[in-house]
Amino acid sequence: MILLWQDSALGRMSEGIQHPDLSKFLVIGALLFSIGVAGVLVRRNIIVIFMSIELILNAANLNFIAFSRYLQETGNVNAVAGQVFTVFIIVVAAAEAAIGLGLVIALYRNRGTVFVDKIDLLKW
Amino acid sequence: MFTIPLFVLFGAMAVGCALAMVAQRNPLYSAISLIGVFVSLACLYMTLQAPFIAAVQVIVYAGAIMVLVVFVIMLLNVEEEVRRPVRLRFLVPVGVLLAAILIGEAAFILKLPGAASRIDAFGQRPSDVGLTASIGTALFTEYLLPFEVTSVLILMALVGAITLARRTATPRLAAPGNVDTEPPELGPRGEVFIRPGDTAETGRAFARHQLQRGEAAASAKRTGEEGER
Repeated sequence: MILLWQDSALGRMSEGIQHPDLSKFLVIGALLFSIGVAGVLVRRNIIVIFMSIELILNAANLNFIAFSRYLQETGNVNAVAGQVFTVFIIVVAAAEAAIGLGLVIALYRNRGTVFVDKIDLLKW
Repeated sequence: MFTIPLFVLFGAMAVGCALAMVAQRNPLYSAISLIGVFVSLACLYMTLQAPFIAAVQVIVYAGAIMVLVVFVIMLLNVEEEVRRPVRLRFLVPVGVLLAAILIGEAAFILKLPGAASRIDAFGQRPSDVGLTASIGTALFTEYLLPFEVTSVLILMALVGAITLARRTATPRLAAPGNVDTEPPELGPRGEVFIRPGDTAETGRAFARHQLQRGEAAASAKRTGEEGER
């Protein structure tokens, strides 16, 4: 049924009009990146800072996927590179989550807090 | 075919959930908002014809990583952040100005004459780039070396996480709250076991205990030497 709709005149007419282009996805990615940076700078709970970093990585992932789609449209043979890179970013984010949360637990055990303004041992 | 409504829906959901994540003061609500961001991003990946990445996004990010984060939040059970008065208030207009410049710059680039003709809208032509088979083929042929390096990275992360989160054999530093002045007992080879509830006070009691034992041993040795003489 979906195929029928796509073959119909209305479907052909909507082709090219109803699809977002690359720049709109880049705007979403930029917004998510900015919000993530704001979260890193504004929040004091180290777990929330950590989640903001994950948000930044996801903004980069969205850009990679959008560019990969763009390369598919232009017929570039290397379009799969963006998706492979996204897989690597997800793997690195998982490793980072394990290490980061291990650090948070060690920090809480030693200092009794997760608020970064209380963790000022190296502050002169 | 309905990609514009889908894009608007999930894009707005992603940005809204991200704003909620930063604005929430309870870390658990932040985590749930972040899960919303991940799920809506997965839906955006579906509209971009990347079904494998969408599935991995839901499974790894919304599943594994967020379970870990929520687990740590529940484990530490930290209190909510209290809002503090804004210091450096004179910098607020500067920040607003810089944000306006950034937004204006982005809008200018997007609305640049000729930008629309250079970037065509994504069609719905099906392609096999986003399928699991093509990603797997690329991973195991062209990107084999990064793939193997990634496995080493995961091994290092595993070892590091276990080392970091393990209980150490040194008395821990100041933790406010319960005070347990009973010195910790020693293991068979002289190692110290930390019990739940041990604080700095325990460490000090242990140090006093060790000092007394050392003095007692020294005086016993001295008396023994004197006895021999």
